[in-house]
Amino acid sequence: MKKLPVYLIMILLSAVMLYPLLWLLGASFKSNREIFSSVWFIPKSINFDIWKNAWKTVTPYTMGHYFANTFMIIIPKTIFAVTSSVLVAYGFSRFNFPLKRFFSALLVIGMLMPAIVKVMPMFLFWRDTKLLDTYVPLVFPALLAEEGMFVFILIRFFDSVPREFDEAARLDGCGTMKTLFLVLLPCIKPAVTSIAVFTFLWTMNDFLNPLIIIQSVEKYPLSLALRLSVDSTGQSYEQCRIIAVSVIGLIPSIAVFALAQKKFVSGITAGGLSG
Amino acid sequence: MKKIISLFTAICCMAVFTACQKKSDHSPTKPDGKLDKCTLRFSWWGDDERHRATLEAIELWNTIHPEIEIVPEYGGWDGWTEKVTSQMSGGTEPDIMQINYDWLATLSPDGTGFYDLNDLGKQLDLSGFDNEVLSFGKVNNKLNAVTVSVTGRGLFYNADVYESLDTEFPRTWDELIELGDTFSIKGFYPLDLDIQSGGTAWYLAIVYVQQTTGRDFISMDGKLGFTADDIRMALDFYKKMEDHSVIRTIKTRTDEDGNAALYQSPEFISGNVAGVLEWGSSVGKYEAVLPEGSLRTGPFLTTQDGKSSGWMIKPSMLYTISKNTEHPDEAAAFMDFLLNNSECARILGTSRGIPASRYAFESLEQNGLLTGLAYESDSMLDGLDTVTISPYMELPRMKEFYNTAIEQVSYNLCDTKTAADEMYSSITDYLERMK
Amino acid sequence: MKHRQYKNPVGVGKYTGLLLISPFIAGFILFTLYPFVCSFVLGMTDYRSAGTPKFIGLDNYKTMLSSESFRKALSVTLKYAAILVPLKLIVSLLTALLLNLEIKGIGFFRTAFYIPSILGANLAVVIMWQYLFTADGLVNQFLELFGASPVSWYGDPDASIYIIIMHRLWEFGSTMVIFLAALRDIPRELYDAAKVDGCGYIRSFFSITLPQIKKVIFINLILQTISALQEFNAPYMITGGGPLRSTYTVGMLIYDEMFKYSEAGYANAVSWILFAVIAIAVGLMYLVTGRRERNGS
Repeated sequence: MKKLPVYLIMILLSAVMLYPLLWLLGASFKSNREIFSSVWFIPKSINFDIWKNAWKTVTPYTMGHYFANTFMIIIPKTIFAVTSSVLVAYGFSRFNFPLKRFFSALLVIGMLMPAIVKVMPMFLFWRDTKLLDTYVPLVFPALLAEEGMFVFILIRFFDSVPREFDEAARLDGCGTMKTLFLVLLPCIKPAVTSIAVFTFLWTMNDFLNPLIIIQSVEKYPLSLALRLSVDSTGQSYEQCRIIAVSVIGLIPSIAVFALAQKKFVSGITAGGLSG
Repeated sequence: MKKIISLFTAICCMAVFTACQKKSDHSPTKPDGKLDKCTLRFSWWGDDERHRATLEAIELWNTIHPEIEIVPEYGGWDGWTEKVTSQMSGGTEPDIMQINYDWLATLSPDGTGFYDLNDLGKQLDLSGFDNEVLSFGKVNNKLNAVTVSVTGRGLFYNADVYESLDTEFPRTWDELIELGDTFSIKGFYPLDLDIQSGGTAWYLAIVYVQQTTGRDFISMDGKLGFTADDIRMALDFYKKMEDHSVIRTIKTRTDEDGNAALYQSPEFISGNVAGVLEWGSSVGKYEAVLPEGSLRTGPFLTTQDGKSSGWMIKPSMLYTISKNTEHPDEAAAFMDFLLNNSECARILGTSRGIPASRYAFESLEQNGLLTGLAYESDSMLDGLDTVTISPYMELPRMKEFYNTAIEQVSYNLCDTKTAADEMYSSITDYLERMK
Repeated sequence: MKHRQYKNPVGVGKYTGLLLISPFIAGFILFTLYPFVCSFVLGMTDYRSAGTPKFIGLDNYKTMLSSESFRKALSVTLKYAAILVPLKLIVSLLTALLLNLEIKGIGFFRTAFYIPSILGANLAVVIMWQYLFTADGLVNQFLELFGASPVSWYGDPDASIYIIIMHRLWEFGSTMVIFLAALRDIPRELYDAAKVDGCGYIRSFFSITLPQIKKVIFINLILQTISALQEFNAPYMITGGGPLRSTYTVGMLIYDEMFKYSEAGYANAVSWILFAVIAIAVGLMYLVTGRRERNGS
């Protein structure tokens, strides 16, 4: 009974959080007129043709093709981003080396510049390396821990793991890598999971970079395919189709989050040694 | 460490400059008058309908010229300017592009940004265009682009609301002002003007001034034709429309609609706001949210002692060829096909507006594809003595000047004279800079 | 209660660390330093999309200083960050605490609370915000219910910034996730011990939870400050920067100058000023927290 108010708050909050999603789902069945004249989410009639057409697209490829493209980018990118940020953060947290302070400062400085100024120089760089219209410019930077923020977060989490863990592991004969993988990583699994999830979601939503790098429609990732038919300068468009497409595009993100959310809090209890 | 950094800086500086300059060293490939086997990239933005029609047209091209393969690159309007701007500065743009009118001024201010189509007369038949239409694509006497379709802003009204209030669509400026008074008693507005990306508020105001004074706002080559007093007259007229409730004030409009476009506004959908000034080529969006047949074309406003019609037209989009293309003949041949081929025109329909090419137009006429509000409004414009909008007038920065002034006047932050003087000097400075 | 501080890293080998961070060093040179230097150089040129860059020294910076619109954008951005960041930290910490409770259906709630961040720049969000904050929108109806006078959210230049703030506040998901991960790290025994000592929920929050997640609060503070000062997307979608530029941030200014007005030189110069502003803000935070830690221990 004590938890009743907590439940009430949670349910109310989730309603506020979820309503736009519900509305979006309903709007995919509405006419433009209906969409803009009512805040209520249930459509007057339901017709799945819109969804079929949205899946088919006007391009020679179906949405499935663009999903596959996105995964070709997102899977290696997530793996690379997690691996490189973990290694770099491990280095910063557990080792002494020359110029360490200098490099830690660089890490923070790298996060301060608005990302938009990178767009043009990097575009010219990838043009000169003849890698435009490939996925390399979208994936490769992750291999080099491009997202300083991830390293920054992971360092703090590594720091919170007591040093006795490392020492104990070392006494048991673990090397540098074994210590990382067998002892430290399990302790900071929630943080590592969140980084993987962030990479996934951000890549899913990234629009400007693929827009400028990818030229062939065949190679478009989902984020570009989603906006393929939005033309505010044009005659008229069926809003519901665009909405249906964007709902389709949200599914993987929501699924990934729903699957990963347990990992944010569970994992092995690190309680034993600290305190 | 410092040495390394400064060395690195120096290398980067050089890299930046060479990267930016590389493209200008390259001189355009000369046409050889033959059609060789090759692959061409063609890019456009648009909606589903345009994508579908254009892809079908490319298929038709494949049956006629299987040796010239066309690789389409297309997407929505969002971000398309960014994409093309990057491609142009990197020299990686497609061979043939659909461009927006004001890009001529930003991407080719001296006419060397795109291929000079005058050299490609052998493949590209321009006999279907009248000289005025052709001149839209000329910069510095170089033919940079060819107009796909011409459009102008027209007035469209919600006929249901007008009928229920027992009023006619306005024919003169005075009638428009009077309507504001009659409508406001019932809580309606006869018209809507915005200061968003469309910027129709300023547009209507300059039509009024152009009609009254006979002076053009900005000339084709980017000279300001208005005096500071003319600008003030435009702002005064705008304020008058607000004062007589012809339109909502900016504050009311923003309060009611937020940042939404008018066709997404509940006020418009419910009929509280019963009119819109819009490009003939974009009016479909408004038509779609009202009950069928409600939105109708209204007359172009006039004044009795007007010195000119004042209403304006512009190319709604143009085709251009990259100056970096290696296959100018083939690109020109494909462009000719898109513009003039009658079978292609039938497939494309009005997905890019009412075609400017006579050949394409005739094809649509024969196939009975010319109907609807867009066609109605554009043909009414044909009957007027219209002015061509200067590409400079549509530059985003210029729109910012107009909208800032109108917003300030609307919020009563300054009088029209101060706003007009400020706008006059900003515009003259900016136009000077763009040369 | 004693908590040992480990000042010294335990890894073995002088160069192992360097080897581990080598991807970062390579990445920094290629993807940060190189574009930074480019942008610094471009910041001193007059570079429009059509032409080649022309060196003009510090002219862009001079233009900026005398530019009314830049000053306005900077003050809007600072105000925005100053209001948003603390609010967002509080809201996400509170919800993270709620979500850390052991109750049924917690997985659903966690997902639900994150959904706004997934939606991002979606049409649904823009339209929802309209229904909420327009003249006779839900928020005003609610206010009237309690006898308060309605607020002109979109049209009043003093109120519009709060619509953007509400939007970003609603998207507290990623901050919350980082807090959740940190809360998990707090050893259970600490709470058990506190319970034995008779500490209530509130007291154990202040004496256990807060000190334990101090460092994570700090990272979230830094990350949120950086992203608030670079804000661009939310005002772009929701208010378009208006009315009267009251929601026009420096981030929007940079984007517009770069792509809309094709003034890459000026855009890069503004970026450097924004960079400096963020660096000062973050530097101050390091200074203040560093001093506190020294005084505290």
